Amino acid sequence: MLVKRIRLYLFILISCAVGYAWLLFAFFSGNTEKENPIEVCLIKHVTDIPCPSCGSTRAALSLLHGNISESLVINPFGLIIVLLMTVAPPWIFYDLVTRKDTFQKYYISIEVFIRKPKIAITFSLLVLINWIWNISKGL
Amino acid sequence: MDSQKVDLFVMTNGKFFESHQVGQIRDRLVSLDDSKWNIVQTLQFKDPTVSLIVSLLGGTLGIDRFFIGDTGLGIGKLLTCGGLGVWAIIDWFLIMGATREKNLTKLQQMM
Repeated sequence: MLVKRIRLYLFILISCAVGYAWLLFAFFSGNTEKENPIEVCLIKHVTDIPCPSCGSTRAALSLLHGNISESLVINPFGLIIVLLMTVAPPWIFYDLVTRKDTFQKYYISIEVFIRKPKIAITFSLLVLINWIWNISKGL
Repeated sequence: MDSQKVDLFVMTNGKFFESHQVGQIRDRLVSLDDSKWNIVQTLQFKDPTVSLIVSLLGGTLGIDRFFIGDTGLGIGKLLTCGGLGVWAIIDWFLIMGATREKNLTKLQQMM
C-alpha cells in the first residue's frame, strides 16, 4: 500500500511539474489565447479534427491572464486542469510531511464514485458534448 | 486445492498474468482452500491484447486506462490529450504489463 501510495504521489507530482513546464514553455513561445503555434495532439495531426481536450493549453493561459469566461469558451477542461494542478501538489506535500494518506483515500473514493454507471454515463456525455463543441468551434 | 484444478486454471488463464508470476500464483492456489475454487474459477480477467488494441486506437482519450480500471489515470490522459501525446505513446508499451498487474491484484483480492 505504501509503495503504491508513493508511486501515485510521485507520478502526480511529476505530471504537475511537466504541466507547469509546458505552460511556461507555451507562455514564452508566443502561444496566445487565439493562436497556437505548437500542436502536439495526435488526433488533430492524424485526422485534422480537434480532440476533446484540444485548446486546454490556450484555456489555461487565458485563465492565468484572468479571463475566466474566455477560458471557458475556449475549453472548460482548462479550468479543471488548472484547478487540479493547483490543488494536488500542496495536498500531496501535506500528506508526505505529515505521513498521512488523505489524498490517496480521496483519489480512490473519486475513482469509485466515477465508476458508478449513472455518473460515468453523465461524464461521458459531457465529454462528448464538449468534443462536438470543440469541433464546431474549429479549435 | 486439487493440483489438477490449479493446473487447469493456470492453463486457461496463464496469458492474463506475467510469466514470472505464474509459478507463485500456482503455489498460492494449491495452498488455498477447496471452497474458493468456485470463486476463482468464475473470475473474469482483462485480456492484455485487447487493452493494447484499445490503447492503439483510443489511447489519446485515455480509454485504455478506463478499460483496465485505472479511472483516475484515464481522466488524466483524457484531460491532457494523452499526456501531450507522449504518455499515449509510452502506454502502448506499458499497457499490457499494467493489465496483467491489474489481473493479479484482482486474483489476490479473491484469495
